Amino acid sequence: MRIHVDFDLCQGHGTCQQEAPRVFHVDEREDRVVVLRPEPPESELEATRRAVKYCPTRALRLEE
Amino acid sequence: MPRPIPTLSGGGERTGQLMALRRDPLALFRRVRDECGELGHFRLAGRDVVFFSGPTAQEAFFRQPDEVFDPQPTSNELMRPIFGDGVVYDAPPEKRREMIRSPALRDKNLRSSAEIIAAEAERMCQTLDDAGELDLLDFTAELTIYTSSSCLIGKPFRESLTPEFSRRYFELEVGTDAIGYLDSSVNIQAFRVRDRARERLTELVSAIIRERQAMGEPPRDLLGILLSLEDEGRRRYSDSVITGILISTMFAGHHTSAGTAAWTLVELLRSPAGTKPVVEELEAIYADGREVSYQALREIPRLENAVKEALRLHPPLIWLPRTALVDFEYADHVVPSGSIVAMSTALSHLDPDCFAEPERFDPDRFAPPREEDLAHPWAYLPFGGGRHRCLGANFALMQQKAVFSVLLRRFEFELVAPPASYVDDYRAMVVRPKQPFRVRYRRRDA
Repeated sequence: MRIHVDFDLCQGHGTCQQEAPRVFHVDEREDRVVVLRPEPPESELEATRRAVKYCPTRALRLEE
Repeated sequence: MPRPIPTLSGGGERTGQLMALRRDPLALFRRVRDECGELGHFRLAGRDVVFFSGPTAQEAFFRQPDEVFDPQPTSNELMRPIFGDGVVYDAPPEKRREMIRSPALRDKNLRSSAEIIAAEAERMCQTLDDAGELDLLDFTAELTIYTSSSCLIGKPFRESLTPEFSRRYFELEVGTDAIGYLDSSVNIQAFRVRDRARERLTELVSAIIRERQAMGEPPRDLLGILLSLEDEGRRRYSDSVITGILISTMFAGHHTSAGTAAWTLVELLRSPAGTKPVVEELEAIYADGREVSYQALREIPRLENAVKEALRLHPPLIWLPRTALVDFEYADHVVPSGSIVAMSTALSHLDPDCFAEPERFDPDRFAPPREEDLAHPWAYLPFGGGRHRCLGANFALMQQKAVFSVLLRRFEFELVAPPASYVDDYRAMVVRPKQPFRVRYRRRDA
């Protein structure tokens, strides 16, 4: 599974970081996400799915 | 060579399609799509509007950054008299960003919000008799004033609210006649009422601020944070600007959530299975005595799909206008800089290519394997899309789950009017169920 970020849409709200802090990082001064684990391990998949689901701008996708 | 964008037939010499927009906006948008296709042009008084329809054009519309399609100048004229000078639409982009990213509005407060909403719903239930009749919109609008003020501003602020605050707030929402996009100061009844309501709300909020200042240790809620912000030892925001921020903080979540709750219940009541499948789902989930505040943050599939389906048929914002700041190319067309560009959620949600039997209330369309919203992400847009997609979407869905977890387990409901008589009221840009919107109720444990 690989995380895809649509940077047209990402505004750095940081919801993903709250859901999966080991996978996503958003610096307070930046307005876009940094993906720490582009291919998240099994143990992070559930949190990553929540991050995708709750992204306010629908900027995240999890690809097979 | 760019091809010209087709222009819609008809309309007034000076006003263009303004009267059509005020009379029946959905009919206007449908006519643009049917006559012109993906991109259609019409005049709105002195402005040119280019209307985008269909998922492909809508995706292009929502992908543009503010430098290309800017939401601010389009709705500024309509909303400025409601929020006031220096607030939200009237603020420069850096300031808007700062407001949007304010920690008070972030998702981490969702958990405590769920608790507050469940408690407010219980409190509203206690005001009802064992059986009776009520106007569902009045009920959900009052409940939503309490939940949004309590969650987004603070409990002490909510407790200072009087029925007058709720009434005045409602008058602001009625003051969103489409004429306001062009000139929000024309002398019409809706705007006169709006302006009186806005003045009165400032007085009410000023009184609350004075009460707070007399307290030893003022609470650290949004109002407390706004009052504590200082520049060189002076309070950053005046009473009037703070009132505007509070109004705007509640505005996005008020009429939208109130209308959605009212429609979800009415659509369930007039569907063949009624509320039964959802009530059974709730009873099964809560059989172990778990808290509403816990479950509202988790999945309640049938209820969620009913809410999503109510949002599809009755999106609270029926069109989303922006202003093109540069010439924009799309499919051999050039949208000229300075045009209003727009799409309609209400029209998109009835697209038969994306939604099977679009006129039918069918919550199962969102369940696997159909999942019509996921299959057509640029067609199902109740919260808009792109960078400006509603920041409160997660909050809003949680709120509906919390409210119905309480309401449907405490009461049984039935319609009092013929099912087809429950319709939307499109007379203001803040769309709402057309009142009277009445239901009969009976307490389950009575």
